Amino acid sequence: MTEAQYRSGAKPMTPPFSPVLLLGLALKPLRPAVLQPVFDAMLRVVRKRHPDILERMEPFQDKVVCVDPVDLPFVLLLEPNMAEPRLTVRRAVDPDESHATIRGPLETLIALAEGKVDGDALFFSRQLVIEGDTEVVVALRNAIDGAGIDLIADLTSMLGPLANPARRVADATIETMSHLRANVETLRQALIAPAMAGAAARDARLAELEAEVKALRKANRRGHA
Amino acid sequence: MELIRPELVCPAGTPAALKSAVEAGADCVYVGYRDETNARNFPGLNFSRKELEEGIAFAHDHGAKVLVAINTFPRAGTPELWHQAVDDAARLKADAVILADIGLIAYAAAKHPDLRLHLSVQAAASNPESIRFYAERFGVQRVVLPRVLTVQEIAALNPQIRPVETEVFVFGGLCVMAEGRCALSSYATGQSPNMNGVCSPAAHVRYVDTASGTKSQLAGFTINQFGHGEPAGYPTLCKGRFVANGKTSYLFEEPTSLNTLAMLPDLIKAGVTAFKIEGRQRGRAYVAAVVQAFRAGVDAVMAGRPLPDMDLDRITEGGRQTTGAYERAWR
Repeated sequence: MTEAQYRSGAKPMTPPFSPVLLLGLALKPLRPAVLQPVFDAMLRVVRKRHPDILERMEPFQDKVVCVDPVDLPFVLLLEPNMAEPRLTVRRAVDPDESHATIRGPLETLIALAEGKVDGDALFFSRQLVIEGDTEVVVALRNAIDGAGIDLIADLTSMLGPLANPARRVADATIETMSHLRANVETLRQALIAPAMAGAAARDARLAELEAEVKALRKANRRGHA
Repeated sequence: MELIRPELVCPAGTPAALKSAVEAGADCVYVGYRDETNARNFPGLNFSRKELEEGIAFAHDHGAKVLVAINTFPRAGTPELWHQAVDDAARLKADAVILADIGLIAYAAAKHPDLRLHLSVQAAASNPESIRFYAERFGVQRVVLPRVLTVQEIAALNPQIRPVETEVFVFGGLCVMAEGRCALSSYATGQSPNMNGVCSPAAHVRYVDTASGTKSQLAGFTINQFGHGEPAGYPTLCKGRFVANGKTSYLFEEPTSLNTLAMLPDLIKAGVTAFKIEGRQRGRAYVAAVVQAFRAGVDAVMAGRPLPDMDLDRITEGGRQTTGAYERAWR
């Protein structure tokens, strides 16, 4: 993230038009401090259920990694310190505050954390952007992929007897998100349809002009021969 | 001629990936320790001794084998780390060790005569004389062939080296250099896959955003620049884009992944014993997708069915695939 982008609050990667983006806009007025207890609880659970993550990150205990879900108005700062790890929600971070940044849409980052997508493949297809200390990013990716995280199972595990009902709520939420995604895609298609039609008309006109230029060049060559 | 049913040898960089590979149908899983004794010595990757012990138990319970790659070359005068790696693999009941260094092979053969020995691709043994030497002198039972031979050459080689088995790469990243002898990474970073287990170590890699895209740098050298949305590859020098004779191009190799799914019938007919999938550095999702595809492919060929249509484009480097030297389509 450049200094100018940091100051403007703009994200350097264009987010996809998705339910998460709309949710992010709705969450914008919220102060990050309000969300902090959620992430504190999340870190406690992950630490308890997947201690191997911090163990694999041991050589990088003093590093700070910024995780930037580009469709949300927040970023997360991860400090993988063995004794006192921290996951802090912030509106934005100064470039000097972290050693590395992992940037991508929230759903991509969650899929990566759960090992449902391959990090290298996301990088090859440019769906994931990394900046700064590549070594700490690679270590974190490997540590998390190796842990076998299941976010819903992990988060509901801390609810004791309420775990099963919470799991059902989470499953219903995922299903709702899936319907929402389809609806948002329809909305996106409707919004860009006029622009796409204009682009198609311009493409057709460009093809005609190219054909005319080609014919003129051919005629010109014949004239010179 | 009766066809040999080839073993599917699959990568695992973590215990979770090992589990994914076994559940997806791997016959064998190959792994490495968390140190410079293996050629994927990447941060956050690989197995502790305890994880290896548990991984071997899980694999054996599910009818799969575990091979331990100890395939870097020991530093002169300090072979202890590599010796310990071999001793621990034998103690933990690994099904085989994959070795490259001739001295380490001699050590393993003398100290653990019952331990099965596989010759790593890093040893670059590609002719009958070389392979027979390792077999006769040290009892090596399988050789992982360098990725330089055509299918016809492999078919001609197999009868000459029997009973030594051959293992060939069927999917994943490619090395274009003489394997085990490439010094490009050392030249730029001081570390190599051969000695340190790292090609283009992540600590030396930086991605820099520019107005026209992303620049990848290795030890301060700019080795590539990708436009916005253009598929990217690994930041290795052999896959860098350079200017020569006024033209910018991939001088050595384009970012691409080996994929021989369509060639499985030919490789099976060539008498290959094992098919190896590259990618211990890749995630569980890659391991599961590729192992499932090749499991389905091998099973289809052995049952006389047509090959299934498996799309692996989304996990390939640079979004491209090649059959590499097996066909030598460039000739």
